[in-house]
Amino acid sequence: MIRQFRLARPLAALAMLLAAGALGAAGTAVPTYALDAAKSTFEFGFVQAGAQNKGRFPKFAVKFSFADDSLAASHLEVTVDVAALNTDDQERDDTLREEDLFDVAKFPQARFTATQITKTAAGAYAASGSLLLRGVTRALSIPFTLKSATEQGRQVLYMAGKTVIRRLDFGVGQGDWKSTEWVGNEVTVTFNLRLIPAT
Amino acid sequence: MIHSARILQAARVGISLGFMQVRNTTVRWGSVAQILHWLIVALIIVQVILALMAAQLHGMPKLAMLARHKSVGITILMLAVVRLLWRLVNPTPPLPLTLKPYERFLANFTHAALYFLIFAMPLTGWIMTSARGFPVSWFNLFQLPDLVAKNRPLYEAMVETHEALAWTLGAVALLHLLGALKHHFVMKDTVLRRMLPFSKIP
Repeated sequence: MIRQFRLARPLAALAMLLAAGALGAAGTAVPTYALDAAKSTFEFGFVQAGAQNKGRFPKFAVKFSFADDSLAASHLEVTVDVAALNTDDQERDDTLREEDLFDVAKFPQARFTATQITKTAAGAYAASGSLLLRGVTRALSIPFTLKSATEQGRQVLYMAGKTVIRRLDFGVGQGDWKSTEWVGNEVTVTFNLRLIPAT
Repeated sequence: MIHSARILQAARVGISLGFMQVRNTTVRWGSVAQILHWLIVALIIVQVILALMAAQLHGMPKLAMLARHKSVGITILMLAVVRLLWRLVNPTPPLPLTLKPYERFLANFTHAALYFLIFAMPLTGWIMTSARGFPVSWFNLFQLPDLVAKNRPLYEAMVETHEALAWTLGAVALLHLLGALKHHFVMKDTVLRRMLPFSKIP
């Protein structure tokens, strides 16, 4: 009994030490970044009646932890306040918020969660994960570039990317709006983000 | 010889039928001028119908109706350019010499106003939609450049102007129609008939 007890204690201590070490490594090795909202844009382009139109989401949040040498531990999550959409036209914005389009009363937010970040070229990456929009979740891979800069003694990241999503995949367009004759199915999403180290 | 003379005669008859005469003459409008005139008349009527329908609609159907209205409007503008150029390189059948000075003035004023309006209507519409921030596409085939930058007060001013010009066009077109009917039924001259296809002018 005594012999067994003496062996168990150091083993438990070792296990705890290893676990703490692993947690510590995950917590410190991958820096986290916060969004500089004032210097970031999140826009969307769409075809309306045969002509290119655009709008933007002025309110969105980004959770980004990233290290180029530790992509497996890197993580990206973007939450967009859909209700805050702005196409510079009050009447159109109100229409977009309605039940048949974004239905913001029921689905005020959209979220992209990356489960894997892979490097595709120098400074170029792809975030694979899923997009939850208007209650529909679909797999999506978003290519983006990262540029690192040192500004006022600290490292900042510039993330830029563009992807095309089909609005009808997410049910954005019910009733009349299911038709793509006057409003195109393809929506180009463009983002230019400035990310600063989280404190 | 006899054969070719017959062809020549047939050609002369064809030319005298008016509609087969492409260019204007000093007595009547040629087929190109006639087609441009009547096509623009028909498209203006289509425009009024589309605009009135759009005003009753909301959402997608309104968007579709206004898109058609813009495409037809741009078509009228293109036809107006062709029509003005065609007029400049063709003889204009003169007004009857028997017209009184006020009648002559009224006719010239009405025609000038109609030419002005077939340019001003599409252009104010184009400026309106540009100022609103909705670019124009011609039948979903190609996108036109914006004439002005997005500007809400200008948009609102253009809505008023476009509507006022539409009423003006209605009034001037009515005057034009009454003038044509007066020529035909009261003065009994060829002024109306020379714009009608297939009508024979002695």
